Amino acid sequence: MRAAQLAVLAAVALAAAPAWAHKPSDAQLRLAVDGAAISGRLDVAVRDLDAALGLDGDGDGDVTWAELSRSAPQIADYVERRLTLGGDGAPCPLHLGPGAVTELSDGAYWAIAVSARCPRPPRSLDIEYRLLFDLDAMHRGLVRVAGTTAIVGDGAPVTLLLDRSTPIAAFVRDGIWHIWIGLDHILFLTCLILPAVFQRRTRRWAAADSLGDVCREVFEIVTAFTLAHSITLVISAIGLIALPSRIVETAIALSVVAAALNNLLRTIDARWAVACALGLLHGFGFSSVLIDLGLPSRELVYALLGFNLGVELGQAAIVVALVPVLYAIRATRGYQVLLWGGSAGVALLASVWTCQRWLA
Amino acid sequence: MPRTHGDSRRDRRKLAVLATGALGLAAALTAAAIAAPDRAIAAPPTHRPGDPSQVIARVPRRDPAEAAARRTLAAAPDRVELAVELAKEDIARYRALSDPRYLGRAQATLARWWTLAEPPPEILLARATIEQAVHQFAAARADLDRLVRLRPGDPQGHLTRAVVATVTGDYAAARDSCQAIAALASPLVVATCEAPLEAIAGRADAAYARLSRLAAAARTGDAGVRGWALTTLAELAWMRGDTDAAMGHLAGTLALDDGDVYARDLYADILLATGRPGDASRLLAGREQIDAHLVRRAIAEHAMRGPGAAPLITEMRARIAAAAERGDRVHLREEARFALAVDGDAARALGLARDNWAVQRELADARLYAEAALAANAPAAAEPVIAWARATGVRDATLDRSLARLARPEVVR
Repeated sequence: MRAAQLAVLAAVALAAAPAWAHKPSDAQLRLAVDGAAISGRLDVAVRDLDAALGLDGDGDGDVTWAELSRSAPQIADYVERRLTLGGDGAPCPLHLGPGAVTELSDGAYWAIAVSARCPRPPRSLDIEYRLLFDLDAMHRGLVRVAGTTAIVGDGAPVTLLLDRSTPIAAFVRDGIWHIWIGLDHILFLTCLILPAVFQRRTRRWAAADSLGDVCREVFEIVTAFTLAHSITLVISAIGLIALPSRIVETAIALSVVAAALNNLLRTIDARWAVACALGLLHGFGFSSVLIDLGLPSRELVYALLGFNLGVELGQAAIVVALVPVLYAIRATRGYQVLLWGGSAGVALLASVWTCQRWLA
Repeated sequence: MPRTHGDSRRDRRKLAVLATGALGLAAALTAAAIAAPDRAIAAPPTHRPGDPSQVIARVPRRDPAEAAARRTLAAAPDRVELAVELAKEDIARYRALSDPRYLGRAQATLARWWTLAEPPPEILLARATIEQAVHQFAAARADLDRLVRLRPGDPQGHLTRAVVATVTGDYAAARDSCQAIAALASPLVVATCEAPLEAIAGRADAAYARLSRLAAAARTGDAGVRGWALTTLAELAWMRGDTDAAMGHLAGTLALDDGDVYARDLYADILLATGRPGDASRLLAGREQIDAHLVRRAIAEHAMRGPGAAPLITEMRARIAAAAERGDRVHLREEARFALAVDGDAARALGLARDNWAVQRELADARLYAEAALAANAPAAAEPVIAWARATGVRDATLDRSLARLARPEVVR
């Protein structure tokens, strides 16, 4: 039985591809929906296209750029017959643009620009992908739309719901949630606010007289923190600056240590400046949530506005709860314990965080 | 408190900074709206080469005989024997090159009969072989059970059934199948079929002796069968703790067939287990297009903490991600070993080992499961393996060590 197999092998001359991985066949279809317009790209392995269409004209085992580009119309025709897009059940006529070459782990792929126009902005996208299954039953079409991926394993149509209705409210909720579970952010802000009811007057420290002054100072600190972290949240979420998360998280922990130590050592009185400078780091920490969503730019702006609003609301809730209590106890011994002991405790805790996050 | 001149100056500065901040935020949001890269279709970069003669891709050369056969089949799609012949050739190519695209092609050739519960018997073996290759063992077993009932005189059906039954831990069925070919194949084939079963039952010494005798006697037989016998001898030797003999046998297998993926992997595993990662890496060098080789080479290089480790590890992560994208879970065993050895993520490795155990139960899977439970400090999680070892009576140097450590109350990582 094996002898026969070995004979077959000897008869088949095969080109080896040492540099590329041997993986099952798949194609990647990436689509973005903007109103009624669909745009994206389809990447199909050149090897698979050769199996379907015979691109290797001279049969020498190599597909050259000349052979490939010459076959572009033939490839476009093949794709057009096997890819159908629709929106809410209505067809969105497909238009294929020029192709180019891209490299994936298992070799060269042909990347075709895909566009379509639907009669009206769709709430759901219908995709009928029928490439290559008749030649390779293990071929898979990986369809990526708006952060979801659908795996198409046969020619059956697939419908993807476009989450048009991700309401801003969801992002606002996300923002509130993220600040409430962000103990490092909360402690940072709390350390900065804590001394507000206990101010320096000439050269003596005493409990503040005026709630108005306290509120003013807290407002300045919170606003400075808000502006700073909002700016870096946006910059980082749109990908303008990308910092490794280990460094960001460690820096945030250090900023909490700094804020706590500042209370103990009274280094900087203008704590709004501290909030501003170190707040920049905190924005990078918030942005990972939004980056993971992989939203297209228009939706990202809404997401940013909503998320940021949520963060500020969550923050405001904490501040509004905290400040009257602090003001009420400002002259008591309890407050002194809270200020000195609390700050020391936070400094210690945040130091532990710093070590943990650096070594992660 | 009265406000001083200094206070107003500070206030103005504060206001200036906060106002700048607000403007900066507005600017950033505008930038986001206009210039942000469209993340949804972030995709690998493309280019259009300038040189027409530049080779873009290497593709299998077209075989005119095969093309003619396919044309004939297309014209007469009911020609079962033609389809099976073409599928067998593709399966052979898959075995030679470890390229899964050939399996997909084989399956497509059999598409007409693929979903039939009772296809023509000729289809059953090819279908079962493809199913086995993608770890659909239940489906393969069903096909093989039917095949041996319909074609009891076909040794290949019994042999494949024995292999699938062994992998899934159904030793009684495996034994039946090995004995069914006693009259149909050479004593060496029968002994090679039965040896792993004897070893799992704790009789590795006797099995090793019997198989060695028969292998030595059959020096001029079929190379494929001899290679398989040598690999089996190597597995038994390793179970008995004789790693030198094991490696000697595997050198023999590779001398017969340099492209034997299973034997090379086994050899690398023994080298890794005996503290020779450098040799393991060299053994697998240049063969990283095969996932099983890449993962072991990555583990070896990582163990040596050399500069060669990083690109291999990155590549392996990319392969695992690509398989996850497709929803493939064929390489659970490799993924678990990678998670354990390279990421040090014992919890994840244990989860993967557990999932793997639900699919296959070879000795390698048992060793992995026990090792992962040990690393994760979770002796209770190893219950299934402990039960399996007790039920089979297996004696294996590596597994016994792990199980002994798991049994100690103060399990240390």
